[in-house]
Amino acid sequence: MTELLFALSIGLLFGIGVFQLLRRDLIKAAIGFAILFSAINLFFVAAGAFEGEFAPYVSNVEAGRQTSDPLIQALILTAIVVSFGSFSLVLGFVNIISRRYNTIDSNDLNKLKH
Amino acid sequence: MGNNYFLLGALVTPLVGAIVALVFARSNRIQRIIGVVAGIIAWVFCSALLIEIHSSGIQTYALGNWRPPYGIVLVADTFGGLFAFMVTSIMIGGLLYTLHSHDKCMTYPAFMPLFLLMEVGLVGAMLTGDLFTLFVFMELMVLASVSLTAISDDQYGLEAALKYILISSMGTLFLLLGIAAMYATFGTLNMAEIAQTLLTGERPFLAPASAIMLLCAFLLKSAVFPFHFWQPDFHTTAPTPISAMLSSIVVKVGVYGIIRLVTLLFIEEAPLLERWLSTLGIIGIVFGSLGALRTYNAKRMLAYSTFAQIGFILVGIGWGEPLALIGAIVYAFNHAFIKSSLLMLMGVVSSYTKIKSANFADISGIGGKMPASVGWLLLIGGLSLAGVPPLNGFISKLALIQGGVHRGDWPNLIIMVAAGILTVIYMIRAWQRIFQQKALPDTAETKSEGDSLLAPFLLICICLLLGTVLAEPLIQLTMETVRQLGDPRIYISAVNLPA
Repeated sequence: MTELLFALSIGLLFGIGVFQLLRRDLIKAAIGFAILFSAINLFFVAAGAFEGEFAPYVSNVEAGRQTSDPLIQALILTAIVVSFGSFSLVLGFVNIISRRYNTIDSNDLNKLKH
Repeated sequence: MGNNYFLLGALVTPLVGAIVALVFARSNRIQRIIGVVAGIIAWVFCSALLIEIHSSGIQTYALGNWRPPYGIVLVADTFGGLFAFMVTSIMIGGLLYTLHSHDKCMTYPAFMPLFLLMEVGLVGAMLTGDLFTLFVFMELMVLASVSLTAISDDQYGLEAALKYILISSMGTLFLLLGIAAMYATFGTLNMAEIAQTLLTGERPFLAPASAIMLLCAFLLKSAVFPFHFWQPDFHTTAPTPISAMLSSIVVKVGVYGIIRLVTLLFIEEAPLLERWLSTLGIIGIVFGSLGALRTYNAKRMLAYSTFAQIGFILVGIGWGEPLALIGAIVYAFNHAFIKSSLLMLMGVVSSYTKIKSANFADISGIGGKMPASVGWLLLIGGLSLAGVPPLNGFISKLALIQGGVHRGDWPNLIIMVAAGILTVIYMIRAWQRIFQQKALPDTAETKSEGDSLLAPFLLICICLLLGTVLAEPLIQLTMETVRQLGDPRIYISAVNLPA
């Protein structure tokens, strides 16, 4: 049941993220970017969430029971840091663009098109 | 096998350089010198590493002494070592160019640290033996290069940077998705361990899907046909030394990833992937050469030309034969030197105009205002790009075409030779417009002093050496590389997995 919920929510987040990323409004695009990264992080969680019954590295695990995979969580932390870094960079760019070109509509940002 | 500290040195030196450069944020002069020194030390480490690999096989370094598969391991086989050597050599050129440049963006305190972080990302991506670390280093490289383009003197740098970061993040997403799928199926991210599992012929459910996702991410990083549209903008608006790096070595990270994918990981699927690669490569060659012919800006012309040259490399990989792979690797190596020197020369030319423009309308006929050596160097570089003997472009084209003849793929060969002729046309035409024409009434105002010629001069000298004296050692080294790539067991056994 949880697996199905996971699959559905990952798909939904992916859809929303891609739709937002393609919006003309750059702030909405930036938010779509963040949503897409959440979708990926959730996918990463799902890759290791359904095995094991105990948190890793706790002392009172009964013998013969499996602990969950700690590596996944370490990977997601790194991925979150990377995505947060790029998200803040995008927002910074949008901020400067709004001041330099007086627009945040991506259709008006066409000075490089010849 | 023990840890090789040269590997760590090549990776950590630019990182330390970036931090030290941040400490000296007040003095631009000291920052630039720190950058050059860090670049040269990293190059020395990479050369020592390459010599070591040549004499005693693949070198590894287990970070924090955690043995694989639990820890992250840095692996340098001949292929990774050769590419890391190429990256650090060209990086020295870029760092030297900043010493005598008048661009405003180079006076920002963040410029040098970001430049060095880009080198960390590039070297790291080529020396790591772990897929997730590859992702982290590639992302470091992308973020550093995007920030550097955003602070460019060109006022549209910001627009190009935003465009690229949104597109490249899509690539990153697919890379991450592919890595997650890999982890879900193999339970490890160590490339050697994954290769070991795949070598047994076992094909878990998600493995082919993750192969396609990784391939798409790498194609996007090297701007191949369906994912190419950001490339001319991004490479044109970046500051000169950065655009020289972007167009020569940053695009090679994707090439590196693709070669790893088809020779180490997915050997059985390789013929299928390779068929796609040659088709996309041919489209890139045609598109890129025609785009370079009709564009309005000299730097943009070179960016389109990179698009075509990456196509040549991909076709070489796509032929899927050892001989063609030798051609592709030699081509990638030589192209990096030619393209970085050409872009720096165009940067020197545009630095003689007051508005720092590389538009043909602005730079037509300003050749008389600058030293004659600029013209000669540009001519040599252009002919080298077109593949005229005795320059290194000729060696790489020869190696590649030999692979194609061996494969017997005549239609693609004809297109490639025709594209070579187009290269001669657009390079010579650009040279004539700058150095032979009389100044037009609307040509931009010129300055008496421009950027220094030191870095492009050194790079052109290396091009000449690579075409003559060093050609034989390079081919020998590449043959050794391809021999090593031909058998993934060599790589797997070097990583020393527990049984």
